[in-house]
Amino acid sequence: MTDTALTSLLAEDSIRLDCTAVDRFDAVRQCGAALVAAGAVDESYVDAMIQREETVSTFVGEGVAIPHGTLAGKESVRHDAIVVLRFPGGVDWEGNAVSVCVGIAAAGGGHIALLSQLAEILLDPEKAEQLRSASSAEQVYSLLTPDPDED
Amino acid sequence: MPERTVSIASSVGLHARPASLFSQAAAKAGVPVTLTTKAGKSVNAASILGILSLGIGHGEEVTLKADGDGADAALDSLVELLSTDLDKE
Repeated sequence: MTDTALTSLLAEDSIRLDCTAVDRFDAVRQCGAALVAAGAVDESYVDAMIQREETVSTFVGEGVAIPHGTLAGKESVRHDAIVVLRFPGGVDWEGNAVSVCVGIAAAGGGHIALLSQLAEILLDPEKAEQLRSASSAEQVYSLLTPDPDED
Repeated sequence: MPERTVSIASSVGLHARPASLFSQAAAKAGVPVTLTTKAGKSVNAASILGILSLGIGHGEEVTLKADGDGADAALDSLVELLSTDLDKE
């Protein structure tokens, strides 16, 4: 597979380790704002992210949610990117506690490979825990770098 | 053990929204359901992370297996879900 590395889509200032949110939509908006700040999407993508969250929760387990836009929002994507926002106090996600949001902007089919890589990492409970408790951008980078021996 | 093979109808593959709907349905199926890709990788169909980790694209074939009471009915409804374009909304 010639997947784009997750880390190549993650700018250092798109990692925010000390966020707080009043609810999950606030957290989704913050992810959207971080994607806008990274120049990856237009403002309208944030609404598409909220829409997606209203339809189906983007909670995936392991205290992680992956907010992203609807198909209709794809036109607002300038380039594929991810942002990592950590909420040490937790955010209530329909009864689940979320402490890490990985916001995703993807224009083409590339997001399937991105999600696959991310899920692969989170399926390792140890790595998921390290991501939830990451205290530096370097830690986040090294966690998101796939092991070269894995397929 | 009852099993069904189906190709993924969702135009963007089995990713976030379709994967979420599918794994929720599998969790409610009442019997443990296993999803296996053509490449032979198997995951618990009720685990969204498991499903996402497979990176299943549009048109790819997967095999669902379940055992126990109501396995056939559960597989039928899950196959119907995968045969629907869950991303069109």
